Amino acid sequence: MARIHTAKPTATKTPEAISPMGEAWGQFLRNRPAVFGLVLLAAIVAFVLYGRYGFAGDPYRIVWGPLTAPGVREGVYLGTDFLGRDLLTGLLKGGAPTLAVGISAAFLTVVIGIAVGALAGFFGGWMDDLLMRLTEFFQVLPALLFAMVLVTLFSPSLFTISFAIGIVSWPPTARLTRAEFLRIRELEYVTAARSIGASNRRIIWRVILPNALPPLIVSATLTVGVAILFEAGLSFLGLGDPNTISWGLMIGQNRGYLLEAWWPVAIPGIAIFLTVFAVSLVGDGLNDAFNPKLRSR
Amino acid sequence: MLMKRRTLFGALASVLALGIGLATAQPRTGGEMVIVSGENPRHLNPAVQSGVATAVPGTQIFASPLRVDENWNFHPYLAQSWDWSDDGLSLTLNLVDNAVFHDGVPVTSADVAFSIMTIKANHPFQTMFGPVEAVDTPDPHTAIIRLSAPHPALLLALTGALCPIIPQHVYGDGQDVRDHPANNAPVGSGPFRLAEYRPGEQITLERFDDFFIDGRPYLDGITIRIVRDAASVTLSLESGEADAGIITDASAITRLGATDGLTVTPRGFEGIGPIQWLAFNTRVAPLDDVRVRQAIAYSMDRDFILNALMRGVAASQQGPIIESSPFFNPDMPSYNLDLDRANALLDEAGYPRDADGNRFTITMDTIPGRDSALGNVPEYLRSQLREVGINVELRTSPDFPTWAGRLASGDFQMSMDVVFNWGDPVIGVHRTYLSSNIRPVIWSNTQGYVNARVDELLAEAGSTLDTDARRALYAEFQDIVGAELPVYWINALPYHHVFDDRIELPLSIWGMMQSMDEVYWTEDR
Repeated sequence: MARIHTAKPTATKTPEAISPMGEAWGQFLRNRPAVFGLVLLAAIVAFVLYGRYGFAGDPYRIVWGPLTAPGVREGVYLGTDFLGRDLLTGLLKGGAPTLAVGISAAFLTVVIGIAVGALAGFFGGWMDDLLMRLTEFFQVLPALLFAMVLVTLFSPSLFTISFAIGIVSWPPTARLTRAEFLRIRELEYVTAARSIGASNRRIIWRVILPNALPPLIVSATLTVGVAILFEAGLSFLGLGDPNTISWGLMIGQNRGYLLEAWWPVAIPGIAIFLTVFAVSLVGDGLNDAFNPKLRSR
Repeated sequence: MLMKRRTLFGALASVLALGIGLATAQPRTGGEMVIVSGENPRHLNPAVQSGVATAVPGTQIFASPLRVDENWNFHPYLAQSWDWSDDGLSLTLNLVDNAVFHDGVPVTSADVAFSIMTIKANHPFQTMFGPVEAVDTPDPHTAIIRLSAPHPALLLALTGALCPIIPQHVYGDGQDVRDHPANNAPVGSGPFRLAEYRPGEQITLERFDDFFIDGRPYLDGITIRIVRDAASVTLSLESGEADAGIITDASAITRLGATDGLTVTPRGFEGIGPIQWLAFNTRVAPLDDVRVRQAIAYSMDRDFILNALMRGVAASQQGPIIESSPFFNPDMPSYNLDLDRANALLDEAGYPRDADGNRFTITMDTIPGRDSALGNVPEYLRSQLREVGINVELRTSPDFPTWAGRLASGDFQMSMDVVFNWGDPVIGVHRTYLSSNIRPVIWSNTQGYVNARVDELLAEAGSTLDTDARRALYAEFQDIVGAELPVYWINALPYHHVFDDRIELPLSIWGMMQSMDEVYWTEDR
């Protein structure tokens, strides 16, 4: 016992120099595309935050003739949509709801996915069977169709859209969590924790979950991108929240005029593309950073 | 002497007419016509089902007592002549004596009586034959329609899809006509008979050789192809796979209009008179104040809606009666963009702007799935009403019945709505403004609008036979509702007929929803 106590300070000293988090961060910074993604993402977030809190324009205001091309009129830098509303204002104001849907849907996905995956992986047996059948049930439903049904049923709002995307996207996270739990619960330190009488809750929360977290963080990051695309897809099909301007809604409302004017669809489309691209690069960077074994590749 | 001169003029006129007729168009017999339809009919019996999808095939299979032309004039069809009694309480129809149903049984006055009473009992348009008390049949070729009150819409109600003569020996077997098996295998006396019906896919009609008008129909057959979406309708007309169709989408109209060999025309929809309007729930604040309703009307730019949103293919519509109708009153109050006036009216109504410039928030319902086809007017309204300090919150409904239920039960503030005139104001206009028609069903007086003078005027116009007298009554009616705005009329929906240039297709006010026995190919397809 005493030996262990004396060993501890030395054991914590060395990790301070090369702590896992610090090591991962260093690894991340060495990954050029990931850094580029992070910078891009920061720029987008700054743009969106400025639109949310700093910029006073009204995205619904008709400023000039409908479908004015970008640059044709001074002050209407990105052109206007089918009603003559300024696209730049729409882009600024529509960013926050777009990102909010992405993040909250990803959060919901992770919460459900981890809960289901952790219980199934940790307890096994009938609980595993039951939860995995449930997961498979959700997994075989076509995600977009299922989300459309949910949104239509509860009438489209940012909340219901986030909810619907979360409900249809959690199965992969659940399976990933379960796999991690199945692997980790057999490791020595879990057995050790169990042998000193730790409760199941403590083992799940304090012992297994922190160790299973890195792949889940990567998965959650990528889910943000998927959720943003999902929102755009729903809006494109006319199922967006009609009372909140978002990039997807801008595309959906203007798609009928695509043959006459490409910019009202292309400009928010590019914004979505850049965001999802940045999020994916960051996600990939995190993945590499958390998986030392893949580093050399 | 006078008589003689008249006869001479008459003869001269007919010789001239014949000469012109010979010079321009000699109907050719033969050939088939393919119609493409984006709508799937519930069945083929217009006696118990309204709507364009049923009316087009239905009017080919079933003949009606009368026909109407593009100038709202009536012509003989199954009835070779008709007579009003002096008191306007009975109409005698003298039927042709050579009409037979597709199964060979002669058409008699008993069938006419049976049809009218069946339609009265089952058709959604209750006012159409509302005053009909009985149909007497003194002999097989005379039917006398007895009315409880004069009914000016009666002649129109005897045309096209509104009055198909259905055989009593088929439909009179005691089964409910609304679900009768013969609705999918109808037997009528029209120019074409049903050869094959594959629900959701195709309706094949072939020439009926014993049709009661000699030499008609000119075509050998009509095929109605039912396709799922609007884009396929456009494509099949563009490629020449189909020869005719009905389209409402602005981009399709522009595109097909520029296609060689196709005629695209808004004519032929004067009868249905499809009006898009903004409905106000006049029972709830702030819309119970007429000044608020007027302010909303002054916030909208008609030209913008017609040119930018409807892309110049829709007609303006400033009142309750379709502008192409003889009863439309062009002098009724009209509203166009005037933001100062709108702001003044809202101030006056007691809704001042708050610190952020907002007056109040209002909910607006949209018709599920139809926003883009209807020109995205709700989106436009939201932008415009913000200019005068009104916040619009759009409310979507998951499906059509939900939306209809909300309107019917009065659970709304404003909503987009599309309502058809159906020929005579008695059929399609009265229902929206009569206080006695505030009922929990869609397309009744869902606005809860009450005006005693309007009730009076409509009651009188609905029981006056003289057209000029009716026009005066409707003119006053339009002045009143124009000032009080229970709804704000926006535009006529851009229904268009499309057909191959080589087809001679007379378009009455009913368009393709009337017998097409006079349609022919001017040259081989």
